[in-house]
Amino acid sequence: MNEEKFFDRLREDARQLRYEPDAFVTTRIASRVRERIAAAQSPSVSLFLARWLRPIAASMTAIALAACLSLAWTERNSTDAATFDSLSADNTIDISFAGDTYRVGQ
Amino acid sequence: MSVAAIFPEGSVNALPILDRLTRGVMEAATPQPNDDPLERRAIERVQRGDSGAYDYLVSKYTKRVVSIAWNIVRNAADAEDLAQEAFVRAYETIGRFRAGERFGPWIYRIVTNLALDVVKHRSRFRHEELNVAEPAARRDSADLRASTSEIVQRVDRALESLPEMQRIVARLSLVEGFEHAEIAGMMNLSEGTVRSHLSLARAKLREQLADLYE
Repeated sequence: MNEEKFFDRLREDARQLRYEPDAFVTTRIASRVRERIAAAQSPSVSLFLARWLRPIAASMTAIALAACLSLAWTERNSTDAATFDSLSADNTIDISFAGDTYRVGQ
Repeated sequence: MSVAAIFPEGSVNALPILDRLTRGVMEAATPQPNDDPLERRAIERVQRGDSGAYDYLVSKYTKRVVSIAWNIVRNAADAEDLAQEAFVRAYETIGRFRAGERFGPWIYRIVTNLALDVVKHRSRFRHEELNVAEPAARRDSADLRASTSEIVQRVDRALESLPEMQRIVARLSLVEGFEHAEIAGMMNLSEGTVRSHLSLARAKLREQLADLYE
């Protein structure tokens, strides 16, 4: 038998060595693949919480910062006003006119 | 040594392998156009994020992928695990897949490389396996169909007697029917190396099975 014929027959017999998984195996593989893909797509509990908590925490921080800044600004303004009043009260000029004394703040 | 132990889910060590596999595919010399419109559409939908469309690709290629894995690792349970792993990895990197090409060569290449890693891992720990009563690699005949003839069993034994690389190349060629170029692409080897392994394997097979086809 020549080389070509030998290998043709060998190839023919060797093809029978292909492994044929049964329907149960193929179904199991498909469902496991589906499961793993779904697991990779759906977040875990910690990831889920992190996804919600992070923006909430960021919003709360922004609100707190805004509150602090506005409080500081309000306090500074009220202090300025008080200082003006006290300055006004201290720098007064008394004007006497026709027997009456008038006090005028600068 | 199970496949799960070698490739744990989400393993960081798997990333270089994955990169090597997908890069290799992208550099494949002869891209084959996809002539299955359903497959093309399924790939496009998966790339757009529709994971349900992946079922078509899994059902179309499962049998062949398991057979390739089995012919390399020679163990049904490992072959099943490898097929599953290959499909998951192909899904994870589907974004890099070029539109219009066939999915088959890509998934075959991924499963072949995963199976080769298992074989390498096994040979590294072979001395440990010798102490096990029934090593995984020896359960191969039990996975074959009961109807397998005596001639086919002899062919199987002759193929198993070959050195590792010759055995794998010969199985992919004779059993799975892949061309030299396809095997070269799947195993990250040059076509010349594949031809060389196959030529040596054929000479040994001819010698061992001379009486079979007289």
